Amino acid sequence: MVSKAEEAELNRLETQVDNGGGGAWEYLSLVRKLKVRRSHKVLNYGLSILNDSRKRSSLGQEEWTLYEQVAIAALDCQAIDVAKDCIKVLQKKFPQSNRVGRLEAMLLEAKELWAEAEKAYASFLEENPCDQIVHKRRVALAKSQGNIAVAIEWLNKYLETFMADHDAWRELAELYVSLQMYKQAVFCYEELILSQPTVPLYHLAYADVLYTLGGLENLQTAKKYYASTIDLSGGKNTRALFGVCLCTSAIAQLTRGRNREDKEGPELQSLAATALEKDYMQRAPHKLSLLSSVLKSLKVSP
Amino acid sequence: MGVGFVVGVFGVLILAHAAYSTIQYRSLLKIMQEEFAGPPFNVAIELVLGLVLSMWAALTVPGKFLSINPESEENRIVSLPANLDFMVFNHRGKLFSQQLDLKLKH
Repeated sequence: MVSKAEEAELNRLETQVDNGGGGAWEYLSLVRKLKVRRSHKVLNYGLSILNDSRKRSSLGQEEWTLYEQVAIAALDCQAIDVAKDCIKVLQKKFPQSNRVGRLEAMLLEAKELWAEAEKAYASFLEENPCDQIVHKRRVALAKSQGNIAVAIEWLNKYLETFMADHDAWRELAELYVSLQMYKQAVFCYEELILSQPTVPLYHLAYADVLYTLGGLENLQTAKKYYASTIDLSGGKNTRALFGVCLCTSAIAQLTRGRNREDKEGPELQSLAATALEKDYMQRAPHKLSLLSSVLKSLKVSP
Repeated sequence: MGVGFVVGVFGVLILAHAAYSTIQYRSLLKIMQEEFAGPPFNVAIELVLGLVLSMWAALTVPGKFLSINPESEENRIVSLPANLDFMVFNHRGKLFSQQLDLKLKH
């Protein structure tokens, strides 16, 4: 999870490194720790450390971690030659290592030699059937070939064994959403909220999917989860604030004519609208008129 | 750090002195063959003073307090990590030609 303070630190280091202020190694370590995808920058700065033999030797044992990080970034940037060289160095240092073997299979993936990569992963699994990362790579392999259905099948099989892996649940949810199978995605997000109830972004994604599904009951649940997102994020999540407004107006449209038994009262949406206006006033004052016309059309203006 | 640490040491010294005075008082009572009902008033004041000083030092010396609320500004989660285990390499990024002649030079 990337918290606000960590994000600020990452941005600060990034501008510092971009402007040649040093601290490249700290930046790369933070990128690794936060698991953000900055392949291009990792490739540039990592390679400049690796090519400087003095800097490289000062890292000590961390040197090999950096080789791995740069190799993956190079694969992501399609710099196949660099990746190949890095993997060769690692291979020389750690022959027989599974972790390096995985990198080689990823190199096959990047070259789009699907059958060879599949064969390599299958042989890894024969050796060690509990290797979670290889299982996940197999899912990614199916995904990169465009076989989303196969990827979902693999992932479901994987999750039967490793039920506590929330990253895998998230991937499954995103795959389902990409296929517009919202009912299944809802289940995955419920699983995620159960395992990590304090992450507002899961609540938000769950509410989004429920809102997309539509229907009075789903809309009411979605509104509740938007509200819990607001609660957990301290009211700083614009998407959740808009979500509350949209849900309110959709519910009002569905229940028009019927005798309304509004249990929540009208305060929630007017508070959300006020918070939105305040936020826009601070960060984008010239778009305030746009916002108020949207809120007026949703009939939730404060 | 400096001031807080000195105050803390001072507080602990006061507490030690209070303990020492109580022990002395008890041995005095033993000689006078009286029952021990409680420490004398000035020792009690010393105890309270020592407690306050060491407590203040213990709260200030180790560092600042961090918020544990999930919605506080430091802890607020703003983005999820990229799911790097499921990374896919044949994305549209490869269509951008990169004029990089990066090489690992060894």
